[in-house]
Parts: sequence; structure tokens; C-alpha cells
Amino acid sequence: MSAPELVGGSAADRERIAHELVTVTIDGRQVQVPKGTGLVEAAAAAGVEIPVFCYEPRVGAGIGACRMCLVEIEGMPKLQTGCTTPVTDGMVVHTAGTSEQAAAGQSATMEFLLLNHPLDCPVCDKGGECALQDLSFRYGSGKTRMTFRKRSLEKPIPISPTIALDRERCIMCFRCTRFSQEVAQDEELSAVNRGALSMIATFEDEPYRGPFSGNVTELCPVGALTSTQYRFKARPWEYEQAASVCGLCPVGCNVAVQSREGRVQRVLSRNHPEVDRGWLCDKGRFSYSHLYSEERILTPRRRGVRELEELGWEQALDELEGMIERAQGEVVLALSGSETLELAYALAKIVRQGAGSDRVVLPEQAADALDPFRVPISALAEAEEIVVFEECPVLDRAPLIELWLKQARRNGAHVTRIGPSGDIQRGRGEAALACQELAEKESALGKRLRAAERAILLWSGGGGAGGCHLAALAHALGLHEKEGSGALLLPASPNARGVAEAWAAAGDENRQPRQIGLLVVSGDEAASEPQVRQLAEHARATVALTLFAGDSGEWADLVLPATGYLERSGTMRNLEGRLQRLRGATGSPARRELSWLAELAGRLGVDLPGSEAALFTELSAKVLDGISLASLGDRAPLPPRVEAQTFEAARAESPPTLLGGPLELIRYRALFSGPEVEHVPELSFQRPAAEVEISPEDADRRGISGGNEVVVRSNGTRVTLRARINAALLPGMVRVAAEHCAELARGVEVSRP
Amino acid sequence: MIGSTLITVGRSLGVTLKQIFRGTVTEQYPEYKRPVYPRFRGRHRLNLHENGLEKCVGCSLCAAACPVDCIRVVAAENSADNRVSAGERYARIYEINLSRCIFCGYCELACPFDAITLGNDYELSEYSRSDLIYTKEMLLADPIKRTPVADAALYDTPTPYYRTDS
Ligand code: SF4
Ligand code: SF4
Ligand code: SF4
Ligand code: SF4
Ligand code: FES
Repeated sequence: MSAPELVGGSAADRERIAHELVTVTIDGRQVQVPKGTGLVEAAAAAGVEIPVFCYEPRVGAGIGACRMCLVEIEGMPKLQTGCTTPVTDGMVVHTAGTSEQAAAGQSATMEFLLLNHPLDCPVCDKGGECALQDLSFRYGSGKTRMTFRKRSLEKPIPISPTIALDRERCIMCFRCTRFSQEVAQDEELSAVNRGALSMIATFEDEPYRGPFSGNVTELCPVGALTSTQYRFKARPWEYEQAASVCGLCPVGCNVAVQSREGRVQRVLSRNHPEVDRGWLCDKGRFSYSHLYSEERILTPRRRGVRELEELGWEQALDELEGMIERAQGEVVLALSGSETLELAYALAKIVRQGAGSDRVVLPEQAADALDPFRVPISALAEAEEIVVFEECPVLDRAPLIELWLKQARRNGAHVTRIGPSGDIQRGRGEAALACQELAEKESALGKRLRAAERAILLWSGGGGAGGCHLAALAHALGLHEKEGSGALLLPASPNARGVAEAWAAAGDENRQPRQIGLLVVSGDEAASEPQVRQLAEHARATVALTLFAGDSGEWADLVLPATGYLERSGTMRNLEGRLQRLRGATGSPARRELSWLAELAGRLGVDLPGSEAALFTELSAKVLDGISLASLGDRAPLPPRVEAQTFEAARAESPPTLLGGPLELIRYRALFSGPEVEHVPELSFQRPAAEVEISPEDADRRGISGGNEVVVRSNGTRVTLRARINAALLPGMVRVAAEHCAELARGVEVSRP
Repeated sequence: MIGSTLITVGRSLGVTLKQIFRGTVTEQYPEYKRPVYPRFRGRHRLNLHENGLEKCVGCSLCAAACPVDCIRVVAAENSADNRVSAGERYARIYEINLSRCIFCGYCELACPFDAITLGNDYELSEYSRSDLIYTKEMLLADPIKRTPVADAALYDTPTPYYRTDS
């Protein structure tokens, strides 16, 4: 039996309770379970099934809403709901299997649930994987006594562009509302009206806007909440499923990618209890349709006289080979951090060994400084003290971490955020200084961290020197010696650490070209980086590997079509350092990168295998201690912590002074942005508004009030945005989503037009 | 020895002689078509409601029931200006690969709306295998009534209600 989940109470309480065992008898079978275990789990341990609808430990303790789990307990006059009853020592329970009373109760429940249910299974997207179908098949009477008209309501109601609600099918289990109120804590869904008229609704029929809303479609035991993208696309028995990993952020949620007839039809969670606990963010869940966007490029393109023109692969490879030759060793590779280790390694090998150059632009600095403080993400839920150095909102970088932080707070943890709009307000670039202050003996928060049994530090923002500042603090606090304590860095790109490793594995020389003969840009994220764009201006030639030609098409001489993360196989390293496997769900309409890279390598005389598995073996021998792909399994284990070493921390420096204007612009990559999201029309309502966030002080001084149209200016760039007053923001700072920043510099002035 | 051989030859000649005077049993197919049993299972039909809407809602249950996996259904949503079936969804693509079909009738049994039924036609030869993939249009079209059906009253097994109109 897997350890039963205990809900509520402090971590210490739960630990104490878990050690006391009680004996219960269920349908004549005796089991010993930890005290406090729910009856449903105890029965499962005894091999007896108690059917449930509303019970879902991940959204909180049982609430006894659906009455499906009725059982008879000796000594109690009436039937009890199994999901709300913890077992006690000596309890004797009879489920519907052995008790007539319980069976009668359960079949009456079933009949009530179906009283107003439309039973339109043939047109219902849940049909085939529906708890109500399954349980009425097994526990229902098979005959109906309902001869009257059923309640009929307007359906389906789009409660957001991504979710449709069918109120007729709802069985009022409150899983969705509990998720919204207790897990995502967005308070968007609630039940309105009473009795037979109760129904699920959003506030004033506004769309359900929240980064985690899609989870309710998976939680709903019936077809009441379904995904609009998946609507009528496939039946559960028709799809093929690939056990992959989401490649859109550094959390690396485990996903089941379901495809039918060669097209991805939906992405579901695959529940890695240490990483995602079965939740996904909407970006990971709904972005897959970017693969089928009309704007995706599927063939190589070359800069023609006026615009990009298509060309065949043979020609494209000729062209690329010529470009590499003409560059004479002056090649620069710009990586996005969204590549798999294998792809990054193949590219690195071509550049380092084929083109004879060793210059790379990595998405961010990565280091192994935090490896001694490695903890699974799930440790956040048990922590007592959590400090987040939050220069960029955690939600935008690693959305699932935000969900874990909420869980931590519900479990009684102190969460302190340090940053421009945190509990302790610090300006941009001051996180390293804040780190040093915490490490000092007299800091009050530092003392709390030292005293806590389980403390976790998170770094969300740039300038962390690859985690070195945080590592120095974690070391000073002694977090490597305490189990359940640790420190994690949230990188901006999904596989920043992995691509750095892959680059290092492909060569160890250091030949820095003085000029850029050829710039190789991998990935749409890199192509949209202003820094890479600048390099492209200085390069004699550029080649870009992208899904869309939006950014790269403006300056690249050769654009090669890329494959999406759902089509790729390979491995990625997430923010904990966990190496996880991606398994391509479908073939790609564009040629696989590894296939043409292997061909190109052959022309350049580089030995490059064309399969992911062979590349992994090569990589593993060089930088991954020879681990095998098989050892990663379906739910990858966390590598053990490494021995902590004392090291000299880099000195934290004060941020450079501002040029251009008095206000500091924080340009952030919002969660719902990036090449994938931009090509999913259903997600456009979630994208960041054209707004500038400004502190009340700065707004007052400029006579700006919320909602005003304002002009943000720096060095000749002017952007007109709507002002939003953010009371939590440190004065002197303004925040604008990267996609609305244009070419604004770091120092800006905001004024009324 | 010789005697017994003669007796055997004589016996078989007798059989031949007897058959010469019997009537012929050859049926002149295709000029003459023998009526098929009323529950005979032949080429499928997709049925319509009286108001002209398709009965099929594209639920894929027939495809799930089919033991040889020869039905392909791709559903889509009805809209106000494109109403194809009575429910929320309809079959945008409905195909049966008759070269694989074993005429078991499971699809007919699985269908919750009597949308797919098996007719009586068995003359399905084509020159190309791909012509045996019947599309929705072909299955919706009125059957080319070529196969005579025997009178159901001659048999004591009842014909299911959804087959009586064929
Ligand atoms: S929710 Fe389940 S039982 Fe209800 S119509 Fe859908 S598949 Fe059928
Ligand atoms: S919509 Fe689904 S999850 Fe929500 S209460 Fe109804 S049945 Fe339960
Ligand atoms: S008759 Fe049988 S084999 Fe033929 S399509 Fe129907 S279910 Fe499939
Ligand atoms: S023919 Fe019947 S079973 Fe097949 S998809 Fe249509 S409605 Fe469903
Ligand atoms: S599962 Fe117990 S009442 Fe719903």
C-alpha cells in the first residue's frame, strides 16, 4: 500500500500520528493502518473498493457531498460516508459488498445522482473515462424509474475560452470549486443557488481567468467541465499516449500527451508526486495546438531578393555547409534553453567539432553550486520557513512552484518574499545583497531560518551567478545538513542547466572567434532575445532553427524548421536537477533536427549518431556519470545530493546606476507569453495586457491614476500603455511585460500623454 | 478379384445414370438472384431522421465495438448554420473499410441511435481495394436495391425493428 495521504494539521502532528497503528476490519478482512487514515484508503489497503465521486485528497479532506461512499459501521445507527470517516481502533466496517443496508443506500445514491443527469454519453467528451459511467455500470440498477422530464439547462456554457461547462451533467461533487478555492486559491468558481437548483458558476459569468484553471477539466468526475480545444476530437479508446514531460518551464511537469491520427489532441497530467502532484498550468495544458498553427514553418527558407523563399532540404544543407565553410571557424551558437540535452549536444558538436569554434550564448548562467542543497519540489509543502528571492514573479517563471507555495502556506509555513513587490521590498539586482544580509548572524529572518527544522530558499530572477549567491547563504545556514531543507534556483528557461552541460560535453577547448562569421540561433526564444538580435546585426551570416518565422524571419539568412517539444524525444534537466525523459508523441510535419544534423555532421566529418538514445549514451559517458536512459524511468528519481564544499562566494555588487530615465523598468516574461502561447488563439485572453505597473507614490507624483493611458519613454523609444497601480511595488520601479516593451532601455520615464 | 471390380464399376455407373434423369440445380446468377434470409447482414447504411438530420452523432461506439477496427469516425460540433445531426456533435468523417469488414453486425448493436444498420446487399466487388472504403456519402445514399429478401413470415426468428424497413 502506498502511504495514505493525511490531510491538514501541522507536519509534526502528521508525523506523530503516522507512527501509531490501528486495526480495523473491513468486510471481514483485518488491516493495520496508521491512525488517522481515512476509511476509503484503509479499505483500499484491505483490498476492498469503496466507490467515490467527490472524494479527492488533493483538493482537501472529504466533504461527504455525493454520498457514494456509504458504508455500515458497527455501533453506528446510520450509514456513514467513508470519505469523511477516519478509522479508529477496532472499527468493524461493512461496505456495500457485504451489507444489504449499505448496498441499498448506495444504489439509492446512484439513482439520485442520475435523477437529472442527461445520460448523453454518446455526445459527451467524458464518455469512456467517466466515473459516473463506470460506477453506474457497476453499482447502478440498470433500470430507470424516472418517467418524467429531466431538468434541462442551457449548454454548453463557455466559462472561459478554454473550458466549457455543462450544468446538466454536473453531480455537485464540488471538486472544481474546492480546487479553485483551496488549491489554486483563485476563488473563481463557486456554487450558486440551493438544493436541486444549485449549479457551478463563475462570478457574474466573467470568464474563469487563472493560470491553473484547466485542472478542473481533469478533476471533474463527469463531463460537466471539459476542454474546448479537445471538444469532440477523440474518444479515450482511440488515442495513443506518450509519457512525456512538459518543456515550457523549468518545473518539468510530467504529462501524458494523447494523440490521434498523428495529431496531439490533449495534454493531461501524469502525476509525479514530487514534482507536480497531478496539476498542470494552463500554458502546459493548452499550448499544444501551436504545433498546428498555420504560421508554423515546415520547410527550410532562405532570404531571397525581397522575402524568404522556400527551398528543399538538400539545397538548405548545401547552403548551411557553405555558410560554415565561409565563416572559417568564427561561428557562434545561441541556445534557447528549450532544447533537449541531446539536441543541444548535437548542435554543440557541429559547432565545436565541425565548425572549429567554441563560442556559445547560453540562455543564462548555470552552475552546480546548489547541488548540495537539492530537495524535491514537494518538500516545499512540508517546509516551515520559505524565503523567495523574487525578482521575477515565481508564477511567471515556474508556475507550479506557486501552487506548491500556496500548499506550503496552508500547511502553516512562513513564506517570505524578497523583491520589488515582496514582503521585504528590495530593488532589482539587490537580491544578492539581501542574501548576504540574511547570512549574517543578527538578521531576524536569518535566525528563524537557522532555527527551522525544514527551511527552503528559492531564487527567482537573474543575477544569481548560477545559484552561487544562494548557495553561499544556504551553506551559511547549514541547510545541507538538514533533511527537507534546501535551496532551488528557478531558471528562466526550461532546460538551462541541461544545455550548458551538453555544450560542455561537446568539447573543452576555448577558441573565441573575434568576429561572427556565422550565428546559429536555436529556438524561437533565443530568436526573440534582444541580445541575440544584436549579435545577428554584427554577424556576416545567420541561420535560425525556429518553429515560426516571426522573429527570425526578419534577420536570418537561412531559417530551418524546428520541431516542438511534444514531438521531440530526449531528456531535460528541471530546476531541481532531475533528469527527465521526453517522449515524442507524434511524428513532426517538419524534418527531425537530429536527422539532418547527422547528415550535416557527415558532410563536415563529425561523428554524430542520429538517434536520441545513442546521443544520450555518449553524453552520459561524458557528463552524466554513465547513467542509463532506463534508470530515468517514467517518473524520474531525484539525483542524490552532492557533498557540500566550502567556497568563496562571489561578492554581491550593487546594481549599476540607471541611464535614460528616473524609473527602473522591470521587463518580465509573463507566464502566458512565448512562441507557443502566441500561436494558441484560445489562450489569448490570458496574455498580459498592454499595461505598465507603477507604485502609488510614483503615480501620484505624475498625476496618473489607474487605467490612464500613459507614455513610457527612454532614449527615443515611446510606448503607450495603460497604467495599473500596484501598491506592492517598490517606488522607483515600473513593470511591463516583455512583449509590450519594444526597445525600451532600463531607465524610463512615465508621463501622461 | 475381377468380379468385385466389376461390381464397383457397375455401382458407380448406376449413380451416374440416376443423376442424368434428375432435374438441374444450377441457379442462373447473376440473372437470377435468390432471396436472402431477412436477417442477412450485408453492406451498411447510415440512416436519417424523418426531418432529414443524420441519426449518427459521431460517438465512435461502433468503431469501438468493431472487432476488425474498420470504422473510422471523426466528430465535429454542430453549429447553428451547419446542423448535421440532432445532437451536439456529428460525424464529420464516417468511413467503413468493407474489405476488412466481417459483417458481424456489432456496429449495429453498439449504435445508441440506430444510425448504422446492415442492409442486405452483398455484391460489393471492386477493381481497387481503396474503392472498398465507403465514405459517409456512400453510406447515406439510398441503397441500390438489388438483393431480393425472403418473406420474413416464412421464418420464426423475429427481424429486429431497425431492420424491418430495409
Ligand atoms: S458525464 Fe459521464 S455519464 Fe454523464 S453523459 Fe458524460 S460520459 Fe455519460
Ligand atoms: S462541475 Fe464537475 S467537478 Fe464541478 S461540481 Fe460539477 S461534477 Fe463536480
Ligand atoms: S459489421 Fe462488424 S466488422 Fe463490419 S463494420 Fe460492423 S462491427 Fe465492423
Ligand atoms: S453510427 Fe452510431 S455508434 Fe457509430 S458513431 Fe454514429 S451514432 Fe455512434
Ligand atoms: S465520496 Fe464520500 S460522499 Fe462523495
